[in-house]
Amino acid sequence: MRITDTFASAFRAVNSNKSRSLLTMLGIIIGVGSVVLMTGIGKSMEGLILSQISILGPRAMVIFPGSGPESGPSGVQAGFDSLTFDDFEALHRLRTIDTLAGSIQLPGRVSFGREEFEGAAFGTMPEYFHIQNVNIDRGRFIDQSDQEAGRFVALIGPDVARELFLDQDPLGQRIHLADRAFTVIGVFEPVGTVFFSNFDENIFVPLSTARSITGKNYLDIINMNSVVDPALAIADIESFLRQRHAITDPENDDFTVRSSGQAEEILGTVSLSLTLFITTIASISLVVGGIGIMNIMLVAVTERTREIGLRKAIGARRRDILIQFLIEAVVLTLIGGLIGLALGIGLAFITAMIVQQFLDTYQFGVSALAIVVALLMAAGTGLLFGIYPAKRAAALSPMEALRYE
Amino acid sequence: MTKNPPLMETQALCKSYWNEDLETPVLFDINLKIEKGEFVSIMGPSGSGKSTLMHILGFLDDFSSGTYLFQGKLVLKMDDDTLARIRATRVSFVFQAFNLLPRTTVLQNVMLPLLYHPTIATSEREQRALQAVETVGLTDRKDYLSNQLSGGQKQRVAIARALVTEPEVIFADEPTGNLDSKSGAQVMKALQDLHESGHTIILVTHEQATAEHAERIIRLRDGRIQSDDKDFKRRNVKASDILHI
Repeated sequence: MRITDTFASAFRAVNSNKSRSLLTMLGIIIGVGSVVLMTGIGKSMEGLILSQISILGPRAMVIFPGSGPESGPSGVQAGFDSLTFDDFEALHRLRTIDTLAGSIQLPGRVSFGREEFEGAAFGTMPEYFHIQNVNIDRGRFIDQSDQEAGRFVALIGPDVARELFLDQDPLGQRIHLADRAFTVIGVFEPVGTVFFSNFDENIFVPLSTARSITGKNYLDIINMNSVVDPALAIADIESFLRQRHAITDPENDDFTVRSSGQAEEILGTVSLSLTLFITTIASISLVVGGIGIMNIMLVAVTERTREIGLRKAIGARRRDILIQFLIEAVVLTLIGGLIGLALGIGLAFITAMIVQQFLDTYQFGVSALAIVVALLMAAGTGLLFGIYPAKRAAALSPMEALRYE
Repeated sequence: MTKNPPLMETQALCKSYWNEDLETPVLFDINLKIEKGEFVSIMGPSGSGKSTLMHILGFLDDFSSGTYLFQGKLVLKMDDDTLARIRATRVSFVFQAFNLLPRTTVLQNVMLPLLYHPTIATSEREQRALQAVETVGLTDRKDYLSNQLSGGQKQRVAIARALVTEPEVIFADEPTGNLDSKSGAQVMKALQDLHESGHTIILVTHEQATAEHAERIIRLRDGRIQSDDKDFKRRNVKASDILHI
């Protein structure tokens, strides 16, 4: 029997019992669908995380007060006064880093006339904008003279500008922040979310001004770029600060150093293991689907015993029957796999549409490798779980099969 | 000039079934010759061994001892593939229960044996199937699904399916057993027509009346040949029996 005949007859068999074929395929449809969906979401998450970090560049580093792995890289820990201005000045001596910028956090509530907005406000230094790759949209950056004179000027994010000023020109307007009046000197270009917080809601004022308002003699965060491998720079900073703070046991560190490359690695690993975990669970349904296929093929063998007897009586070899039932199982799983594939891609697309409402950098993604693997697994499942029923069919003796009632 | 050997010849053929260590003999010392072009009935009550004999002659089963010559060649113990090839090319069957593929057209059913035929080309299949369908007078039903046909029509499709490979011999196992008398007459007419046109037919039945459509009746009882005669009044299907084909 030619292989094309076998396929044609397999399609006829699947087609002549549509509702049962569909129910049989359900396990495979769900299995392939969930594998494709989960890996697709995983890929999108990875893209999302990379987009959060790539804005900063791999050399960006931060130091913030306090310790503990739970502290996020961009998080600012209130209530810790361990990073002094003296520390900051001393850090300039290190050869492993450059472009340092210290910042103080201010209360984020800002108002213009009757308009109010809850953003995030920082007193910072001109170098900060280099490290964060911020570009100016209108007006100018905070510069060294603002810093030296302690001027009450503010650089605001595009979201702040939109919320407070609507269509008005913000430049030269006076806004209220921390019970003081500041003159808006610039608006920066949209950056988007960085480490899952909206950078465009930020308001920046000179560090010296923030220091005089709050009376703080410590920094809430220090940003910088590494000039060597970030891991080396981290080690250098840590030993330097431990020495200054007279810390012998790293467990007692009162500061934390992070690099964006390191964060990228950690987040990438987390997202990969999560994807693998979910995909493994989804794969189990492929196995369950395969058992469903085996069940229905066994039923088909029993139901079609007379057909098998007839085929043998008119000249079918053992091999012909074996291949016929195997191909039927594979055709069932492949059709199921294709339906599952379409379903998975469709659901990944819908998921992307929904998530994009909240996170505009989330991109629809489907892993090509996962599609190939899922389809191969589906066909493999069909082959594997089709073997037993097919063997049983092929082993039937023609007279016994013909007599079967 | 040497005489052609008989189409089938058995000498002291015996067959037993084994159930664990228990031997159940079903055929004893069967000696018979069937020539090409004959129309033979094998008759006997149930349990007489007539079906077993047909299965052995039709290469569906093997025998325990004795010899079987097909076209003068000794049939030895054969492997599955060789048996399958002989079944695909030399013999075919018409069964009591029709055994058509359900939800499949008449033409597809008739073409089925050609799928397993080692030498008939794919391009020839449809032509051959159409011809076989025409022989049994079902050309106007060729695209019907098998389950849309009456019993008599189904059995004629089965006959067409048996014809399509042009085998040396057609075995019909109780072909009228599931049919009313009119449909049965149609089927017997189709078999007689095939015989007229030169086919060898072996009919297995337990009914005297059905058996008498053949030229020769071999009677079996308890696994032995009881009689083998051509001396009876042969029945011919009358036109009045098959008015509504």
